[in-house]
Amino acid sequence: MANAPTLLSSCAAAASAKEAAFRITAAPPPPRAARVVALDSGAAAAVREIATQPWRGAQFLSCRTARGNGRADTDADPVLVTADGREARLSDTLGDADFVMMVATSGAGAAVASAIGAACTVRGITTAGLIVGADGSAEAAVTALRPHARVLLVSHDASDVAELLNAVGA
Amino acid sequence: MLKQETNELLTSTGPGTPMGQLFRRYWLPALLAEELPEDGSPPVRVKLLSERLIAFRDSEGRYGLIDEFCAHRGVSLWFGNNEVGGIRCAYHGWKYDVTGQCLEVPSEPENSAFCSKVKLTGYPLVKLGDILWTYMGDPAEQPPPPEYEFAQVPADQTYTSKRWQESNWLQALEGGIDSSHVSWLHSAGLRNDPLFKGSKGNEYNLNDMRPYFEVVETDGGLFVGVRRNAENGNYYWRITPWVMPSFTMVPPRGDHPVHGHLWVPIDDENCWVFTFDYQPVRALTDAEVQAMKDGHGVHNQYVPGTYRPLQNKDNDYLMDRAAQRRGETFSGVTGIAMQDASLQESMGPIVDRSKERLVSADSGIIKARRKLIGAALALRDEGVPPPGVDPAHHRVRSVSIVLPPDSSFAESCRDALTATPGVAHVSV
Repeated sequence: MANAPTLLSSCAAAASAKEAAFRITAAPPPPRAARVVALDSGAAAAVREIATQPWRGAQFLSCRTARGNGRADTDADPVLVTADGREARLSDTLGDADFVMMVATSGAGAAVASAIGAACTVRGITTAGLIVGADGSAEAAVTALRPHARVLLVSHDASDVAELLNAVGA
Repeated sequence: MLKQETNELLTSTGPGTPMGQLFRRYWLPALLAEELPEDGSPPVRVKLLSERLIAFRDSEGRYGLIDEFCAHRGVSLWFGNNEVGGIRCAYHGWKYDVTGQCLEVPSEPENSAFCSKVKLTGYPLVKLGDILWTYMGDPAEQPPPPEYEFAQVPADQTYTSKRWQESNWLQALEGGIDSSHVSWLHSAGLRNDPLFKGSKGNEYNLNDMRPYFEVVETDGGLFVGVRRNAENGNYYWRITPWVMPSFTMVPPRGDHPVHGHLWVPIDDENCWVFTFDYQPVRALTDAEVQAMKDGHGVHNQYVPGTYRPLQNKDNDYLMDRAAQRRGETFSGVTGIAMQDASLQESMGPIVDRSKERLVSADSGIIKARRKLIGAALALRDEGVPPPGVDPAHHRVRSVSIVLPPDSSFAESCRDALTATPGVAHVSV
């Protein structure tokens, strides 16, 4: 029968405020294993500040030099710097990651973005890019990140990094 | 996910709430002009932002939106008579003009000044396009009237409908910002809807189910760009503007009219969806208008005599499992508008955003919420006028276009994203 009669409790009309309050929910999902990589010095300053907040599964990284990664730019597995100042290869930082957010204020980190994009593609890790500065300076960053980020957000506000991480459960 | 208190802040629009105060800084669609078709038309009950109001058009053609209830004993003025110069309460004959000013209290002496001391809340009501717009905030802060292009073009180039949606306004708006559902929920509509089918853009849509997203902040809101692969390494872009608080446009398809929505809170568990279609440089054809009236495109059919959709939660949206199996619809519900509404209403009257699990593809929604919260708190705490009040922010368009891979849509489409009278919209 195409349209079988339904009970009041099992049809769309049952969607009420009272009912919604008692909807069955699964256990809270595990935190998103996020890596946040600052691709230039402007981004690094913003990421350092956000890294001081409490996070469940996020790790914060930056490039080794102010201009992307200096000579390491050509490296498919570049060296990154952790929030506590240690150096680590990109491949070592990805481990259990399921989400990588690249943060940029310019196009300086294009090579590292490319390396991250390639590494994440191989591993099936979702990528996102957040570009701070919605004027002309952002254009280079957009061009640099577009091929490697499934989502790009061009924002006036560096605190959007934290907002996005919170929203996706990092 | 959001904290409960943040969700409450975003979804509560009654008087005195931060989001309610935010909405009260904008001109809002109150009702369709067709609801008050002539001078002296019967009054219409209007509930907006949880306030119960009466809209009427007096004998002189003046529009008014005033408190629904008589100052005397609280009787609804909907039962009243729309007489010369005002509406008269059916209970004891108190009479009010379009500003809410009491004109007569029959029980008082003829020369009594008592009535001059009685005034109901009243809001301005002006006709722009097919809509009667109101401003419910502080008169001292009233902005210029809106300048959305669909309400500015000649009457034969535009068509507007409205429908009641049984959900909070925000989950309806978020559907307008969320472009990622189109390839799934509305996939069949791209093939067979008379107001969608036949465009080259549809092929790009249907051939690439894993689009990429770019969200660009603007002075008035956001541009949400979605790119899919096109020929020769180029990208097919669909760009959706959002103007705060609740205006969105759908990217166009071929030469079809371009459409969009305004999502207006009735109260915290219901909203009006005002839906427009227009052509910037030509009249709508008879066939296009008929298709809109028949509920195609982003419009819908109605329970006769009402603005309630014919497909609604009481009839399970006329779910058709056979059509779903045949691939004629993805969800079993017919029509773009009701495909959205049925799923959004299924989330409950006010969805609990503390339980959601967002992904990066939801960045447009995440950013929109952040802008709404920021604007509401800046207004409450510092009196900062919110984005989207300035009519310059209204002069936007949606765009669909094919661009080289290294082109920024925001830069390449700067002109195309701006509403310019006499210039056709950019569409693939």
